[in-house]
Amino acid sequence: MALTRRAGLIALVGAVLVVLAPRPGLVFALLLGLLAVLIGVDLALAGSVRALRFQRQGETALRLGDSIEVTLLVENPGARRVRGRLRDAWAPSVRAAPREQPVDVRPGRRQRIVSRLSPLRRGDHQAVTVTVRALGPLGIAARQGSHHVPWSIRVLPPFLSRRHLPSRLARLRELDGRHPALVRGQGTEFDSLREYVVGDDVRSIDWRATARRHDVVVRTWRPERDRRVLIVLDTGRTSAGRVGVDPTSGDPTGWPRLDWSMDAALLLAALAAKAGDRVDFLAHDRTVRAWVSGASRTEMLPSVVNAMAPLEAELVEADAPAMVAAVLTRARRRCLVVLLTDLNAAALEEGLLPVLPRLSARHQVLVAAVADPRVAELAAGRDSAERVYDAAAAEKLRGERRRITALLRRHGVEVVDALPEDAAPALADAYLALKAAGRL
Amino acid sequence: MSRPTSPRIRDRWRTWRGALGLLLVIVVVAMLMVTVSTPRPGGYLDAEGTGPGGAHALAALLADQGVRVEQVRTVQEAREIATPDSLVVLTRPEYLMGEDLLDRISELPGDLLLIGPMDLVLDELAPGVSEGDYDPARSREPTCGLREAVQAGSARMGGTAYQVTGPDARCYEGSLIRYRPNGRTTTIVGSGDFMTNGRLIEDGNAALAVNLVGAHPRVTWFAPRLPQGDQPTATLEELVPDQVGWLVWSLIVAVGLIAIAQGRRLGPVVTEKLPVVVRAAETAEGRGRLYRARRARDRAGHALRAATLDRIVPRLGLTPASTPDAIVAAIAVRIGQDAGQIRHALYGPAPADDTQLVALARHLDTLERQVRDS
Repeated sequence: MALTRRAGLIALVGAVLVVLAPRPGLVFALLLGLLAVLIGVDLALAGSVRALRFQRQGETALRLGDSIEVTLLVENPGARRVRGRLRDAWAPSVRAAPREQPVDVRPGRRQRIVSRLSPLRRGDHQAVTVTVRALGPLGIAARQGSHHVPWSIRVLPPFLSRRHLPSRLARLRELDGRHPALVRGQGTEFDSLREYVVGDDVRSIDWRATARRHDVVVRTWRPERDRRVLIVLDTGRTSAGRVGVDPTSGDPTGWPRLDWSMDAALLLAALAAKAGDRVDFLAHDRTVRAWVSGASRTEMLPSVVNAMAPLEAELVEADAPAMVAAVLTRARRRCLVVLLTDLNAAALEEGLLPVLPRLSARHQVLVAAVADPRVAELAAGRDSAERVYDAAAAEKLRGERRRITALLRRHGVEVVDALPEDAAPALADAYLALKAAGRL
Repeated sequence: MSRPTSPRIRDRWRTWRGALGLLLVIVVVAMLMVTVSTPRPGGYLDAEGTGPGGAHALAALLADQGVRVEQVRTVQEAREIATPDSLVVLTRPEYLMGEDLLDRISELPGDLLLIGPMDLVLDELAPGVSEGDYDPARSREPTCGLREAVQAGSARMGGTAYQVTGPDARCYEGSLIRYRPNGRTTTIVGSGDFMTNGRLIEDGNAALAVNLVGAHPRVTWFAPRLPQGDQPTATLEELVPDQVGWLVWSLIVAVGLIAIAQGRRLGPVVTEKLPVVVRAAETAEGRGRLYRARRARDRAGHALRAATLDRIVPRLGLTPASTPDAIVAAIAVRIGQDAGQIRHALYGPAPADDTQLVALARHLDTLERQVRDS
């Protein structure tokens, strides 16, 4: 049950009458009685909220930063008209708009109510409740009730780095068979035989085929294909730290390292899929949080995006030996293991470095990390003694980062350490460089 | 597909009926206990008062002996019931002000018992008696020939001692006086303590009280609650018209209804588990604040120098393992500056104060730029 301000206004008018009346006590009693009768009648004549039936329609997935419309169908099987206000409640960060909407359903009819959702956070979001307040014909009192109408939307990572994809694909084509290389080298495999044309390198003539065909035939080479790339996302505590500026909402507190890493991972996955490599995806902190494997080339990107959507940084120290074991059991053949984590000296020295040889013995390892532009900003401070102290602290941190990078490289690990906006293209470039060098 | 989540009225009733029942029982029990056990309201020497200062016990004692005790609050009431064979007890003479009022009391038929009267009252009701010294009430002997007092023996008397010219009886060191000024027996006691519920059982208090009051078949117990004046003054409540009170009630109802209307939310508050917000740079900033707090110039200088060396050394074609001498010499050759200054900047002592630290940072920047640009 709910009242409207009209009930209070009637009482205020009654108060004026009480002042003017010769017998105020009687008028007051009459006023109370009148109010009670009006409220009772209005409640009795209001449409039933409990009997309403709801259905939802609309989209269930969107990229972070986009918005979708979700439709709510309100059906009134009751005998009285339901007129009033409706609120389709979602979690605050889903930003359902408008907050309240008018509803007016005659008996046996339906009404379509559309809410626009513009979520601020990645992951799965559930609809909470639908609350309807049905006013009586006098507009004094209302029946109010809630219904649970399940619906879930999945907010996917925005994949902002896809704008870098065309330029990297062009670079890939330069390596690829569309510009067939006549020079055999590391990282190329035999592509086809074709007739010699003037200008071809005589060293690439295949004499055996030439002898069979009565024509001069050259071999062409192309970069190797069908290699395996395993993207490992560290969802431990170091990935919770926020760096840069949130590109979807402009929030200056930054975007978690995890989201920047996902962005880079998605560009790499898209690129590798186009390059004909098989991409698997693993998210790990103390246990496996997500695992995508064996998806076909067209399915791979959507399934990785889908697996990433509900991931959140866990506030636990990542378990590097368990992660290495998970990788080793899942990747039996040699592959490129791309580990997206933070170059945190303490965490890596105690966690990853002791078990790294087991991993790098069988696989090519690439560690990619997102650097914090704020640290670079601090390191440049020279205005006052305070700024210089901050700069020294930042330099100390960067020194540790350089040291751990050098240590990793000594283990034969490739390291990509880039600022947030450059992380995705830098990782893609590192992948292309590895591919060109035939080290996959 | 959808399902209602709000409870029906009967579900709500089922949930709350236990609590409501319990509340009802508690209220009823509490009200019963309060009615039974609390002392009834009543001021000092009120014949209905059951507190320690009341006089209900005495009134009950007298009623047992067939004395009719009637309590009145105003002079009008007293005049209505007073008869020549009755005794008028004035319990609170301090509430009686104005000569007109006292005149009307003196016109009452029957005998008088005054409890602790002041001079003003004495002048009107007991001419010839005057106030003496004040001495707190305690157990005293009668030391007089008054039959009522002698029979009662020692009693808790005291308060004001009175003087009278030609006394009929002056007992308990002047705190009990009986005389007949103009054909009516007038008794004056300095303090009414001995009549109160709290003191009645001590000494001969009860006997004295019953002797003094119970000699008459009717007693008019005049116990005003408020000071009684000459002209009745209207109180503020009486001056305010009825409408105002009812207006306040209707406004309370109106404001209450508006508050209920405004306070009802459309659906429950939605909660959400929010992720932690940790700026990754917090460790660097925290370390900077620590350096600042401890004025750790040695560590700060060392960190800055190490960072500069890390960046310069590869540009010189040297390795980090090179000796300081080799590095300084290479820089000196590269930028054509004094090796001593370069060595002081890169390997010198820790800065002595903040100014030197800032200067060192700037010098290292310059050095790095020169190596890069050369």
